[in-house]
Amino acid sequence: MPLLEVDNVNVFYGDFQAISGVSLALAAGEVLALIGANGAGKTTLLRTLTGLHQPRRGRIRFDGADVTGLPAEALARRGMAMVPEGRMLFPSLTVEENLQMGTLTRRKGPWTLGAVYEVFPVLKDLRQRNAMQLSGGQQQMVAIGRALLSNPRLLICDELSLGLAPLIVEEIYRTFERIRGADLSIVLVEQDVARACAVSDQVTCLLKGQVTLQGASRDIALAQVTAAYFGE
Amino acid sequence: MDWLSTLINGLLLGGLYALFGLGLALVFGVMRVVNLAHGEFIVLGAYAGFFLVGWFSTVPVWAMLIPVVLIGYGFGWLLQATLLNRAVRSGNVLTPLVLTFGLSVLLRNGMVELFGADSRAVDAGALGSASMDLLGISVGVYPVLMLLLALALFASLQWVLQHTEFGRTVRATADFPDVVRLMGVKPERVFCQVMGLAAAFAMGAGYLLAQRTLLTPFSGVERMLVAFEVVIIGGLGSFWGAIAGGLVLGVAQLFGQRIDSNAGSLYAHLLFLVTLMVRPKGLAGGRA
Repeated sequence: MPLLEVDNVNVFYGDFQAISGVSLALAAGEVLALIGANGAGKTTLLRTLTGLHQPRRGRIRFDGADVTGLPAEALARRGMAMVPEGRMLFPSLTVEENLQMGTLTRRKGPWTLGAVYEVFPVLKDLRQRNAMQLSGGQQQMVAIGRALLSNPRLLICDELSLGLAPLIVEEIYRTFERIRGADLSIVLVEQDVARACAVSDQVTCLLKGQVTLQGASRDIALAQVTAAYFGE
Repeated sequence: MDWLSTLINGLLLGGLYALFGLGLALVFGVMRVVNLAHGEFIVLGAYAGFFLVGWFSTVPVWAMLIPVVLIGYGFGWLLQATLLNRAVRSGNVLTPLVLTFGLSVLLRNGMVELFGADSRAVDAGALGSASMDLLGISVGVYPVLMLLLALALFASLQWVLQHTEFGRTVRATADFPDVVRLMGVKPERVFCQVMGLAAAFAMGAGYLLAQRTLLTPFSGVERMLVAFEVVIIGGLGSFWGAIAGGLVLGVAQLFGQRIDSNAGSLYAHLLFLVTLMVRPKGLAGGRA
């Protein structure tokens, strides 16, 4: 049984339809790459999955239960975590306090402060600093660590590489391999199509709120993805 | 020596003013809401005290501060849960402003209807008239205790906000209410706790004020103005700014009255005006 099932979801902003009839399924431990040009509806779909935005039509099932319409805080407690676009660290909090916010879901699991510092050792020395004093890459590490500390079953990452130098992106994705586990599924939005295909098991391409391509990453050629990306 | 006496008494009055501003600063700092009913919360605390002291005459007057504060917390929590959260959720900054303005009118007139328009005060007993020697100046024990209580409350609140999980959650909610949802936190619940604390501080301050002066259901408007000036002088949403603002305002008022006995609060209001012109972001110039 899939961990996440999205069935014919339609999302609106007022009269504007941002997502039209999107369906997808993700098994435990799988990584799904969600790709598409700016305005394709990727972030809206992620916000809908996490409960920050509610679909007007369609169903979402997570971990065997229908979670359609549940608010974000309820989904977080059920094991859904998000690394939001732009990281959205809390400026009033230190690095460690930002990380500790992840523990508020009270979920048990392998991720502790110590485990996060093992994956991102640089954060240990910076833990008393204000989170906004960190570089973009370090802030991204805090955002990932904060999400992991909720011990999620599904980790949703929106534009991990946005605004980061290529070397930092390499470092983030190296750790990405370390955090992948048998029990952790990941939905990843990434502008770098080649990288998205390389790290994922499945690819879903969105264009103007609709799915234009869907399948196993290993079965899809980069040219197909590019065509679906631009709607050719 | 007279000027020193004025300074000390101004600081003692400022402690109470700071308490007026504390709840207002907290609510603004976390929810970005200016609670225009804050003055009525203060008067409600005074009235809750009048009745509790009357009903339980064997209990020491100072001990009644505890039930007044608890009632305040419950009142603020319920108000936020049933009414104000809807206004905050609207996303329009004017909605909570208009709602709290309406609430202030409702509370004021409700108190007139229930309690009448007569002036009332709480008799603080022997403590109210006790005095002590400070730097050769005779000052009231009660105002000194009030200032110490205000400082203790400010320090406690600051400690809670900086060193506890609750404080961390409040600060994070103030930064990004939507993002804390992703951590399993319901921001509306945090808002309820914050409004509960703000009302507890306001009603507690009102009860203390009622032991110094006469109050009517209409006294809230003037107290709201003081609270507002404290918060603006201190710096919107800053707690230490609020206590500094309260002390400065108290001193300005008493110095003004010393220069011109008919001035009332004129000099305190002038100080507020000058602060707005010279340092619009207040003494702290930031958030808590």
